Amino acid sequence: MKPAAFEYHAPTTLAEAVGLLARLEDEGCDAKILAGGQSLMPMLAMRVARPDALVDLGRVPGLAGIRLHDGHIAIGAMASKRAAELSELVRDKQPLFHAATRLVGHQQIRNRGSVGGSFAHADPASEYPAVALVLDMEMVATGPDGERVIPAAEFFVTYMTTALEPGEILTELRMPVLPARAGWAIREVSRRSGDLALAGVALTLRLDAGRCTDVRIAAFGVGATAIRLTAAEDALNGAAPSADRFARAGAIAAASLAEPMSCIHATADYRRHLVRTLLERSLADAAARAG
Amino acid sequence: MSNRKTIRLTVNGRHYEREVEARLTLADFIRHELHLGGTHVGCEHGICGACTILIDGSSARACLTLAVQADGANITTVEGLRNRETGQLHPIQQAFVDAHGLQCGFCTPGFIMTTLELLGENPDPTDEEIKEALGGNLCRCTGYQSILDSVRLAASRINTATAA
Amino acid sequence: MAIDIPTRTDQLPTSATRFIGKAVNRIEDPALVSGTVEFIDNLSLPGMLHCAILRSPHPHARITGIDVSAALALPGVEAVLTGEDVERWCDPCFTAPEGWGNYCLAVGKVRFVGEPVVAVAATSRYIAEDALELVQVEYDLLDPVCNPDEAMAPGAPLVFENRATNVIQSRTYTWGEVDRVFAEADRIVSRQFRWNRVGANPTETFGCICQWDLADNSLTCRGAYQTPRFMGIGRAASLRLPANKVKIISHAQGGGFGGKGGPRGTDIAALLSRKTDGRPVKYIEDRMEYLLAGGGQSWDRYYDAAIALKADGTVTGFKVRLVDDQGAGAEGYGTISAAKPLAAFTGNYRIEAAFYDLTLVATNRAPTYPYRGYGPPPHNLVLESLMDVAARELALDPAELRRRNYIGPEQFPYTVPSGNEYDSGNYAGVLDRVLELADYKSLRQSQAKARTEGRLVGIGVVSTVEPGVFDWNAYATVGVPGVGVPEGVKVGIDVFGGVTVAVGFNLQGQGQFTVAAQVVADYLGVEMNTVKVTTASTDVALPHFGQGGSRLGVAVTGAILGACEKLRGIFCRVVAHVMQTDPEQIELLNGRLQMKGAPAHGMSIAEVAGLMLSRSDLLPPGVEPCPEASFVWVSPNRNLPDDQGRCRSYLTAAAATHVVQVEIDRDTGQVAILGYYIVDDCGTRLNPASVEGQLQGGVAQGVGAALYEEYVYDAQCQPLVSTFVDYLVPSIHEVPMTVKDHLVTPSPIAPLGAKGCGEGAIHTTPAALLCAINDALAPLGLECRETPASPRRLWQLLHDKA
Repeated sequence: MKPAAFEYHAPTTLAEAVGLLARLEDEGCDAKILAGGQSLMPMLAMRVARPDALVDLGRVPGLAGIRLHDGHIAIGAMASKRAAELSELVRDKQPLFHAATRLVGHQQIRNRGSVGGSFAHADPASEYPAVALVLDMEMVATGPDGERVIPAAEFFVTYMTTALEPGEILTELRMPVLPARAGWAIREVSRRSGDLALAGVALTLRLDAGRCTDVRIAAFGVGATAIRLTAAEDALNGAAPSADRFARAGAIAAASLAEPMSCIHATADYRRHLVRTLLERSLADAAARAG
Repeated sequence: MSNRKTIRLTVNGRHYEREVEARLTLADFIRHELHLGGTHVGCEHGICGACTILIDGSSARACLTLAVQADGANITTVEGLRNRETGQLHPIQQAFVDAHGLQCGFCTPGFIMTTLELLGENPDPTDEEIKEALGGNLCRCTGYQSILDSVRLAASRINTATAA
Repeated sequence: MAIDIPTRTDQLPTSATRFIGKAVNRIEDPALVSGTVEFIDNLSLPGMLHCAILRSPHPHARITGIDVSAALALPGVEAVLTGEDVERWCDPCFTAPEGWGNYCLAVGKVRFVGEPVVAVAATSRYIAEDALELVQVEYDLLDPVCNPDEAMAPGAPLVFENRATNVIQSRTYTWGEVDRVFAEADRIVSRQFRWNRVGANPTETFGCICQWDLADNSLTCRGAYQTPRFMGIGRAASLRLPANKVKIISHAQGGGFGGKGGPRGTDIAALLSRKTDGRPVKYIEDRMEYLLAGGGQSWDRYYDAAIALKADGTVTGFKVRLVDDQGAGAEGYGTISAAKPLAAFTGNYRIEAAFYDLTLVATNRAPTYPYRGYGPPPHNLVLESLMDVAARELALDPAELRRRNYIGPEQFPYTVPSGNEYDSGNYAGVLDRVLELADYKSLRQSQAKARTEGRLVGIGVVSTVEPGVFDWNAYATVGVPGVGVPEGVKVGIDVFGGVTVAVGFNLQGQGQFTVAAQVVADYLGVEMNTVKVTTASTDVALPHFGQGGSRLGVAVTGAILGACEKLRGIFCRVVAHVMQTDPEQIELLNGRLQMKGAPAHGMSIAEVAGLMLSRSDLLPPGVEPCPEASFVWVSPNRNLPDDQGRCRSYLTAAAATHVVQVEIDRDTGQVAILGYYIVDDCGTRLNPASVEGQLQGGVAQGVGAALYEEYVYDAQCQPLVSTFVDYLVPSIHEVPMTVKDHLVTPSPIAPLGAKGCGEGAIHTTPAALLCAINDALAPLGLECRETPASPRRLWQLLHDKA
């Protein structure tokens, strides 16, 4: 299990990195961006990924900050998950993102693995794409033509595929702070603690005069990418929170899923049922937090 | 650019400069170029944790890192723990011996390095915190109970020594 | 002169043992925690090449062409090995039963995914793997047989064309009046069970460095070898070398638990060395190779079993029909694991008659290999599950049903229907203690309360016997000849009084070096830190086997005691000669050879050794100047089996009862272990900390087998598990921290009364967990009879019901 040979580039500015990617593309060279490497390295070792060149962003300064900006939290794509986990800003202002981060792998992985890397990798079983949909996050990509902002709903295209163009680098992730009196929850079922989820649910909601509002729900691990559960949202918006209502929302969510994926650990039906159960339980969590 | 690169790094306090192939993993570099064989390789795909080392003080899987990424880094491996002069074991190593926290010992350097990071960040962890920290290290021999005991013992000894 | 091996610690020449029976620190550990132990991949030899292996992507195919020219042309590649070389230079590995083996590289056709097809030796592993990508292999696909039903169907494709069938072995065993007890039974309980493939997965995979000396036509193999001499004999056979021309140097191993891919890996590396004019060739199996085909797959079983009971709960008969999917041949001795249950077929119980119908089938799955427990863990799950079903039908508490059927403490030595003799035990005592430890009554109360809340809480109470100290005779009926498994040591004392124990095996994790040091230090009255335990290579080692079959702690203890007894005899003669008295007047006590009745007159062990090595003029006639002694221990009183496989096989019978409480989440199918309690009895505990470690490690592997681990194959026989992402070794979160206690019922026949205990809880934990799960499901009328009881399976069961 040793990687095939590749050329290695370690640009020291963002402009250099962007230029390098453009040049490599012109040369017909299959280049891949190396961020933390925690997902890429196993693929290299198994030779299921065999790029001609790696462009390591590890030497590019300015991509790892975590800051409050215009009422949003902006996380540099190269910030480690551990940095996000330890950030008081993230923990206090966006606890859903914080909780999701703690569910990713183990500490050794979170120390090295970048936040942006997981977004660009777009594994449908990972927590971040679902959280991105729930929080309506924005991804900032930098390419030869400068920056562009991609909303989460457009960013995740399908299985391990994003809207990033070849030559574009994901540089920043923006998310709103959690509004006052908002509730949030994230739950997943995985075989072992720290494993990728068989299925999971992330959501936010608010309680306004005893009614659920602004309900946003996404499921992960059940489709080619994270899925907004709009039918369940519709069933909850304007409704009084109750165990019955949450159970019904779970059932609606499960029914609304197209055929979930099937693997050795979970059949499609099982995954569908997990979404139902996890949503029901998550809604109770979120309602309690919002209360 | 080529597929070889010269890297400079510090491992266990010693400075090294080596030319390496870009695809060389940090685990292979440490083991076979620097001949520090205590960083063991159990899966090469980031699950077992046997190759855990500290890079700039943070635990990392050496198999999921390229040697070239470690250019400029300060690395600690299990060989860096024992007192070089006296040969005395680090308190964490001694605690693993005293609490029978190992059997075959192949995963042990990884557990010890993870514990080193844990106790550096959290000198008095609860059992739940210990489990959370060690969740990414697999042991096939012990069933973990004696490992949990070892970490508790190490923490209490280090805290006693610090208090004294 | 016959040597009597002490069976009690009070027979040792010491006023009180200082090390045996104490949880002393292991002498292995300082080096292991320092990272300085020489595991095989830490070693490099001058000129060494690195091997990588191209493996079959097909479960069953004819090889129609191999083109290695591009690989050979790659800079850094020194040799490429194919089936042509192998056919010219090798024989297929020997197997039990005979004739179901493969060559180390595929010759003519491939029989499973992962079977080695081409191997490369290059200047680095990276380049060797590059070269594999340049090899072209053409296959004609053959229909695979994916399971025993397919394999036994008329006209099924043949895994081995030279055999007319895919059935490796099919036979029955009848012990006692089975038909009568079933005919006379008041109740018969029968069920089918499916145990899916699991396996050892030590953290270190297999590795070796092989060097062929072309002038001497000899082979030296360094590596992660569990059973060095056995491995050497096998290599001699497959590589067509005289056995004394194969030298095995065993390195410390990062866990064993059964087969590593040693035979094939060694043969391939050896032949690459031969092909490169004797350069050393290193082969390190990687984890994907291990998971696909590295000797880590075991126990792929279909059971149909029944027990016969009287109305009062007395179990009178036990019938088992086992169809065991051995995979592509018998190279890994998976057959033995189907025979081992004979050593304790009827568990802890007085069951008068039993029947075993055994069918071992070849398929296009990977060959099966040994795994800790070597067969009884699934067998115990079957028996214990039937006991629980019976208890439910009789409305008896499962603990009570077991108690009524236990072999009584006064009945030992007890011969079970399948022929083995249990040495000693106190099963009711173990049960009483664990029920007390678990506060069983309140566990049941909490379960009753949980049930009223609609929660699925269950309790398992499971008893098992662990056969300890294996003997070949246990496996005679599947084609393994012989009686007696030797373990030889040499104990020597140097001129400064330092003690060296040379053994034939190396470290693997169980702590036998420490046990050796404890025993020799207590016997000779020296400090443990003056004892050096070292591994002899097979060219000079005494006959030995090494780890396996819960034997080595006991066996090495016996061997050291034998060597020490011999040393004592020699030393007494030397001291008597110096003191001008009879040897009978000299005794060894606390490290001194002294005059009986006048202990002031004597010499220390070190003084005697020094005298022997430096003053030959003072030695009595016939005594060599050699303060060393060798002893090869073998289980006493073993015998040949009869035609039903009955014999005294395993020397000792340890016992344990586990109590576990679980809760099933009915919506996710996940099982939470709420509490886990163990009481075991393995006789004298030579190092209690090591015994507990073996127990807890067995719990972890049992949890894996019962809830997490599984080698999954699809309907075309493609393996779907090739990484640790999918083979789910439990982490610290999944393994319960158990509450333990123990009884000590010493073995009357084993050295110092110690029983084999290395395989430990894996005998018990899978059964305990499944029984607890089924106890939780009982109010719903559901039963899970397949392992692992994964969330998907349990949810499906619950969902189908709903």
